[in-house]
Amino acid sequence: MSEEKNIVSRRSVLKGAAVGGAALAAGSTLSAGTADAATRLKGSTVKWTTRGGGATGDAIAKAVNDAFTKKTGAKVVAQQVNSDDFQNNFAQIMQGSPDDAFGWMAGYRSNHFGEMGLLADLTREIGHLKANLPTAAIKGSTSPVSKKPYILPTTYYPWGLHYRKSMVKDIGMNPEKINNWDDFVKLMTLTQKKGLVGYSLGAKGGWEAMGTFDILNARINGYKYHIDLLNGRAKWTDARTKETFKYFAQLIPFMNDNVMDISWDGMRDLLLQKKTGAMMMGSWFANDFKAKSQADYDDLWVVPFPEINPKFGVDTIDAPLDGISVAANGKNVSGGKALAEFWASPEGIAQAVKAGDTNIYVSKSFDTSSYDAFNKQKLAVLAAAKNIMFFLDRDARGDFAGPIVGPAIQNFIKKPADINKILENMQAQWDALPKN
Amino acid sequence: MKLAATVQKKRSRRSLSKTDRFTLATFVGIPTLLQIILLWVPAVVTIILSFTYWNGIRLKDIQWAGIQNYKNIFVNNPLFYQALKNNAIWLAFFVVIATPLGILLAYQIDRGIKGHAFFESIYYLPVVLSLAVIGIIWNFMLQPGGFVQGLMGRDIGNAISIWGNPKINTWVILGIASWRHIGYIMLLYLSGLKSVDPALKEAAAIDGATDWEIFRKIILPTMQPVNIIIVVITLIESLRAFDLVYIIYGSPTIFPLLNLLVFQNFAGQGISMKGAAYAVILLLLCIVPIITYLRISFQEDIK
Amino acid sequence: MSTAVVQSAEYRNNQKRKDTFISIFIGFFAFVWVFPILWTVWTSLRPYNDIISYGIFSWPRHITLDNYINAIREMKIGVYLLNSLIVTVPSVILTLFFGSLVAFVVTRYQYKFNLWILLLFTAGNMLPIVLTYIPVFWMFIWVGELFGNRNLLYNNYGGLILVHVGFQVGFATFVLSSYMKTIPKEISESATIDGANVFRHYWNVILPLLRPALAALSVLMTTWIYNEFFWALVLMSDDSKRPITSALRRLQGQYVTDFNLLAAGAIIAAAPTVIMFFVLRKQFIAGLTLGSTKG
Repeated sequence: MSEEKNIVSRRSVLKGAAVGGAALAAGSTLSAGTADAATRLKGSTVKWTTRGGGATGDAIAKAVNDAFTKKTGAKVVAQQVNSDDFQNNFAQIMQGSPDDAFGWMAGYRSNHFGEMGLLADLTREIGHLKANLPTAAIKGSTSPVSKKPYILPTTYYPWGLHYRKSMVKDIGMNPEKINNWDDFVKLMTLTQKKGLVGYSLGAKGGWEAMGTFDILNARINGYKYHIDLLNGRAKWTDARTKETFKYFAQLIPFMNDNVMDISWDGMRDLLLQKKTGAMMMGSWFANDFKAKSQADYDDLWVVPFPEINPKFGVDTIDAPLDGISVAANGKNVSGGKALAEFWASPEGIAQAVKAGDTNIYVSKSFDTSSYDAFNKQKLAVLAAAKNIMFFLDRDARGDFAGPIVGPAIQNFIKKPADINKILENMQAQWDALPKN
Repeated sequence: MKLAATVQKKRSRRSLSKTDRFTLATFVGIPTLLQIILLWVPAVVTIILSFTYWNGIRLKDIQWAGIQNYKNIFVNNPLFYQALKNNAIWLAFFVVIATPLGILLAYQIDRGIKGHAFFESIYYLPVVLSLAVIGIIWNFMLQPGGFVQGLMGRDIGNAISIWGNPKINTWVILGIASWRHIGYIMLLYLSGLKSVDPALKEAAAIDGATDWEIFRKIILPTMQPVNIIIVVITLIESLRAFDLVYIIYGSPTIFPLLNLLVFQNFAGQGISMKGAAYAVILLLLCIVPIITYLRISFQEDIK
Repeated sequence: MSTAVVQSAEYRNNQKRKDTFISIFIGFFAFVWVFPILWTVWTSLRPYNDIISYGIFSWPRHITLDNYINAIREMKIGVYLLNSLIVTVPSVILTLFFGSLVAFVVTRYQYKFNLWILLLFTAGNMLPIVLTYIPVFWMFIWVGELFGNRNLLYNNYGGLILVHVGFQVGFATFVLSSYMKTIPKEISESATIDGANVFRHYWNVILPLLRPALAALSVLMTTWIYNEFFWALVLMSDDSKRPITSALRRLQGQYVTDFNLLAAGAIIAAAPTVIMFFVLRKQFIAGLTLGSTKG
């Protein structure tokens, strides 16, 4: 399985949408194609799955689905499921009797299952939305093997270095000027001197630490090497990979004691309670800061992970792309496609935002002019990068990322001295994977 | 319908009517068919699949792999050995600590110490709880922000690592598992103890034997069949340990167990037939206890 | 052989002191044993705001049943409990029924394959669940496709019930067969002499005699099947159809920070089996006795 073909070279950034994109007329409608479908849909039932998100997730789903019902006359039945269980049993659910449409992730997870026939081909729907979507987003949603898109891109978010401005000022540094590795180490050292955690990490689920690994590897060896590595064209035992882990090892003394005990929400709490200097994470948790207090939210800041190798600067970022997929085995596939298209259209997006969705949408119609300082900074972080990675567990094949890379990184954090053995093992396991 | 008694007797001894035979066949046949289809056929399918490469979705993608999956597991996978180690530790802990404690508890309660009826219920209580509930209960006790952390004066920021600390987490998990196991063993043994002739115990007491001697020389030998059953159940429960760790961790990376490895590879997002291979290895480990159990339970019938 | 025993007063006092000590020791541990459950109940009775403002060890300012009311309303616990009922009751009835059928044939009639059947059933009960769950899933889908309805067995109460029966019938057969062996052969013989066919033999003669064993077993089976959560996670993709124990997974993720609500939900989920245990303790213990010791 030439998994490497799944990874698209994404040299162009999703710039068109990110940097204060010009807003299209707010009342832009769906294209004519959907109007036809709309008449066909009247009276039918479409089933929607909300993947996690709690009460907010349900509220957003209700807003968008209700608007869809008003527009087409089709009924939408929605349910929320535990995100982990949904992902863990995805293959089974898709082969069974899945809901028609649901939020999903671009990269291996949509390409692979789409190629296997479990996700519907969304070429037509993407065609309808083409005017509003940046080319890079469309490319990121398309399988390089079958050349078909199995997901309609909607949102993305940056993985960046987060810290609290007040804490950085407290140790005498300028929060606007954390630019290179030395600045970064200084920040961690001074924070640790105050009795706090320098760099917080929660590796309980195995995937969180991939954010740190991804960005270190991209900074030190470049985007191309990283993608090559994840697809077997470069070796884990290569000196360049070892170099990445050498830098990773430097971070370990600054980490919290309970790395293996907590996940991303524990990391967020550490920052919320002002107990840590910095952390590498996706910006989705910012709403929780806002929920606590406006002051906390204003204190939050994010920058691209600092430069390490001047050859690459800060030209790469993990910015996972999410979207809407349609199950091929759903009872109402055409209804599902129409619903998916609605979610990804400017109309649907407007509903979601009104109901409280704070994600960044790739759509060109997405109005960022009213963005606050933190969100504008998120856009800036995204714009600074030329190359976009989707995160290790979306860029690498599923039977390698979760079962093999995750535990390997965890073992490394527990015992950094074992790194050579760990890397040899990873390479051996990669070689043993069935490839056709 | 009455026939001559002797003719009827002869008939009932030698042959059954056609309808009767049909009834018997259905009585046995339907449940057996159900069992075979739901248990044994899937087991065989898993065994066969362990010798293939497959991503679990399209039948045409199945490829023969021979013993490659097993080779991969034994040669390349440190998680496997960690899991074996954890399963072995689990087993040893149950055999050496948990089960004996259950037996001891049963013995004391059987002697009729004050409050024994109350104790019986309390110690057995964890057994009637679903593991989903047990997971929540112990999370309340141990997670950052929970009871134990609070006792030590630590909040979520500087909580002691329990689930993630490899030195502690094994004992914590075994503790929780034992919390359940001890009660179960206690009740099993108690019911067996009721069949020991109290006169024997009294006679020994008169002769001046201590409690310990009574236990060792009279009770233990009389309970021989029960003892073996208890050991076998201990073995099987420790090999099958899955639900609890799945609830707490979800993935096998921090506290690998064979069962979790099966789940991670057989389901999940990166399906590979390594999962089937793990399941077969687990089955092989279970075979000895299962056969022992069968032998003991049916020894009279086998003869 | 008991004769009047003369024991010295000293020995008796010694015994008494030892026994009291043991009693206290075990009693203390009983408290430790049950403490986590007590703590959860305690957590469920305190309002969320109290904990946030004053910490988990604070002296209770309010005791409230609000968490329970909210749990029922927000978590839709009623729906899940109903699902548990729908799945558990038929499973238990079918398991006992099938188990009694097989035990009946195997103990009342001499056939060469009797022993093999017993071995098959007993061993089946001990197989690790992970060995079978994915092929069972495929089988359900495949059978469903055969009949044109994928949801014939998958995502269907019927499929879940079938699986539970398949897994538990082995234990039921084993227990009932050892119990049936204690029913005298004469009863069966006189039934056949009286002209009863096999069915009558089973239904009118043997089944009534099984009542104590069935009662005991049903208590055990209900507990085990009710408490099981894993199969529903694999075989039910509709969250609203899942039994309460499986739904707890989703609720745990969704309400991870609202301890008090989650505690109330957990207590509600645990209540049926705990209540049943206290009310029907004798049957419980009888069931285990039948299952563990032979003869």
